[in-house]
Amino acid sequence: MAEHILGAHDLDVDEIQIPREDWFESSDTLQKLRKNKKFPTIWCAGCGIGIVMGSLIRAIDHLGLSNDEVALVSGIGCTSRMPVYMDFNTMHTTHGRALAFATGLKIARPHMQVIAIMGDGDALAIGGNHFIHAARRNIGITSIIVNNAIYGMTGGQYSPTTPVGKQATTAPYGNIEPPFPICELAIASGATYVARSTVYHVLELDKYIQEAIQKDGFSLVEAVSYCHTTYGRLNKFGTAPDMMRGLKKDSISKSAFEKLSPRERAENSKIVRGVLHVDDSREEFSRVCRQLSERVRTGGSQ
Amino acid sequence: MVDAVPVIQITLAEDSNKRKKPRGQVVLFGSWCKGCGLCVEFCPTGVLALDENDHPIVIKPENCTGCHWCDTHCPDMAIVVKRLD
Repeated sequence: MAEHILGAHDLDVDEIQIPREDWFESSDTLQKLRKNKKFPTIWCAGCGIGIVMGSLIRAIDHLGLSNDEVALVSGIGCTSRMPVYMDFNTMHTTHGRALAFATGLKIARPHMQVIAIMGDGDALAIGGNHFIHAARRNIGITSIIVNNAIYGMTGGQYSPTTPVGKQATTAPYGNIEPPFPICELAIASGATYVARSTVYHVLELDKYIQEAIQKDGFSLVEAVSYCHTTYGRLNKFGTAPDMMRGLKKDSISKSAFEKLSPRERAENSKIVRGVLHVDDSREEFSRVCRQLSERVRTGGSQ
Repeated sequence: MVDAVPVIQITLAEDSNKRKKPRGQVVLFGSWCKGCGLCVEFCPTGVLALDENDHPIVIKPENCTGCHWCDTHCPDMAIVVKRLD
């Protein structure tokens, strides 16, 4: 297919040909993509994971970090294909072990900005223990969990975040397991920074990812996304734009949530967006680790 | 909203002419676009539309306000909005 501006022939302007190489130069975001990779991406048309990728690139770009300072680590799944397309140091590891590999990387290279990108199943089911223990240690990893409430790549099995009653290919009569609240789990485990937003509110997401990268300890950004090809189809949520509208309708900002009466808060089923937790009091783990090794090398006790 | 238009035209005749100019230029990269339709559905001023092959086209370039909704929400990095002065 010829690379050109689609529909330019419908306007009274000359058809402009953009070569692939020139497209990478047309914005700051596109310059951070890996030029030798096959585009378009593998995700379904309209999937929110691509939006989170753009958000992450804009956040890194805004902080002025060079490509060599950043390391992206991912596991297996739809979301974990994300680092493949970006021009940073990347590690594409085994299922659920993104945080395990990221922990090793952060201790070996403490000055690197380590970002672990996981899906909901990858982070909470297969890698559930790595997740709570990374938060417990307060290691300086920025973790981004894209929550689409389903295992998309393997065909729509229910995941630890599928709401009760919703259908999946392995729950044809509705899911009977209560879901994990990701942010609350991270707060309880001891994370430094926890924020949540949706792919509709992408500028908020940019801001939270920036703040999360700047934080010293373990930080988590939950990006609520959607899967319209399996989850949406099975539960009759419609197309990608319909599900996007649903995210807009079914979410509430933290400040608006706090103004609700206690009863309304208890009954709230909407996604609460905002910075949910900040705790700078705890020591970062890779620094503690280095201090210990210094102390042992110099022969000091205690 | 319709009632308010003449008032603005009387008081800010010159400025309103200036505002008719597009404030952004939407550039689409067809070979990366998968035709999900998010940009078309959510464009606040109706700059984009789907053609017969379900691919977005720019139909009203003069309406673009440069709000960057489409390029920040494009999952395939197939849109760049260039800010015009």
